[in-house]
Amino acid sequence: MRSTPIVTVVRYLLLDRVTYLVLPWAWAAFGFVLDVVVLQLIPGGHGDDRWVGGLVAVPLVMLVVGAQSVARALPFALTLGVSRRTYFLGATALALALSVGFGLAVAIGRIVERATGGWGIGMAYFRVPHLLDGPWYLSWLTAMTVLVLMFVYGMWYGLVYRRTGLPGTTAFAAAQLGALALAALVATWAHGWTDIGHYLGTVTATGLTGVLAAVVAILLTGGFATIRRMTI
Amino acid sequence: MTPAISAAGLERRYRDHRALADVTFEVGTPCITGLLGRNGAGKSTLLRILAGQEFATAGRVRVFGAEPLENDTVLRRMILVRDNQTYPDLRVRHAVAAASLLYPNWDADLAGTLLDAYELPPARPIKKLSRGMRTALGLTIGLAARAELTLFDEPCAGLDGVARALFYDQLLADYAAHPRCIVLSTHLIDEAAELLDRVLVLDRGRLVLDAPADDLRGTMTSVTGQAGSVERLIAGRTTLNRCTLGTQTTAVMVGRLDDRDRELADHLRLRLERVTLQQLAGYAAEYHDRTVLTAVRTP
Repeated sequence: MRSTPIVTVVRYLLLDRVTYLVLPWAWAAFGFVLDVVVLQLIPGGHGDDRWVGGLVAVPLVMLVVGAQSVARALPFALTLGVSRRTYFLGATALALALSVGFGLAVAIGRIVERATGGWGIGMAYFRVPHLLDGPWYLSWLTAMTVLVLMFVYGMWYGLVYRRTGLPGTTAFAAAQLGALALAALVATWAHGWTDIGHYLGTVTATGLTGVLAAVVAILLTGGFATIRRMTI
Repeated sequence: MTPAISAAGLERRYRDHRALADVTFEVGTPCITGLLGRNGAGKSTLLRILAGQEFATAGRVRVFGAEPLENDTVLRRMILVRDNQTYPDLRVRHAVAAASLLYPNWDADLAGTLLDAYELPPARPIKKLSRGMRTALGLTIGLAARAELTLFDEPCAGLDGVARALFYDQLLADYAAHPRCIVLSTHLIDEAAELLDRVLVLDRGRLVLDAPADDLRGTMTSVTGQAGSVERLIAGRTTLNRCTLGTQTTAVMVGRLDDRDRELADHLRLRLERVTLQQLAGYAAEYHDRTVLTAVRTP
């Protein structure tokens, strides 16, 4: 029995196993080992967990992998009779599947980390303050949402680059920075920084996950609008 | 019966450049069609629109009776192999595996045979292949996919003579065993001429000739000899591209020759040469706006 077109696109993308299955895990492992070495070299305080930040490598790798998924694989897929819509849905399904797996690894890692006293050296590799808080399933959901977000954001950048080249991509990045600057100006003008600081201080992991999910929806809409008129 | 390809009033504009203008034709199946024309004539643009990879500015295109753009049902029945194909960072065997996932009629044995014939190492990264080997990989995928509509855009670019001959032989053998609609866009017209059932000639975005290949063969003849003798043979006939060098004149005559014409040419010691399809495509592009091509079918 032949698989559905979306599953076929996922299988097509997974032919490049190194990019999608090896690279994120390899970077996570490399970050973990590096953090262990760094903590061994730096004298720590007593009792406090030491947050190391090596896990940040994984979302960054997902950003790059997302861009890669549309850089060279997309034109060949279109040659082989895949529509843009099906390709986009297939790549998004792959992002979701990868993020479910990595998110679960993060949630399990967090449990093990807590049970072993931070791997015996007080290291907080999987426990990210404010973000990966609460029960295991919430950590899973949050990690998954962050990873999907980064993949889809990378994919949108890759699509903009394919359509408009370097000038368009630069303008795309500049427009986002401009929007942030404008928002900061508006916040200053409206004396809103106190409220923003209050919100960030009180927001829960659940609330933050909801906000990130909304951003994913916006990125997906933008990415789909970009791929719709793509020519190769 | 629904034609494999149907285009009506097709137009593609890029700002101040018109790549295609009012292109109208139909191609049935099974058939091998040659899409001919000079660089920039609009061949690749037309093929990309047919494959849903490019957008028409105006007009209508149908493949197997339906709009191909973003239509998975139609797209999975066709393949467009381009000379400058972009491949992912994969190995040869991965590219072949990708195509096998997407085409229900994929012939793994044929793919293996062609990989061997073109000496393509399955484990080699595609980015390490030479230009000719990349072209050969595209041909392997294009033939083994057995898509009902197979579009080849400059399929022999970068291939040596042996590899080109191999491709033409394989194409013909596979077409005979599995008849389907194949469109070849090529500069190497005479090499592919014997394969073609149908000829479409594009010139500066316009379709200037659309005719069965058999109808075109022998419709133009080049006559060379003494000026007076040439004038006697071509009297009352449509001629193109007449030139004189010293006492010798060469004229291209439109229309088929009968036995009496040949006897007369022999008597006048004239040399007759059949105009090749390549030359004919050139004349079609050059003279399409005149009424001289009465012997060939124009759109």
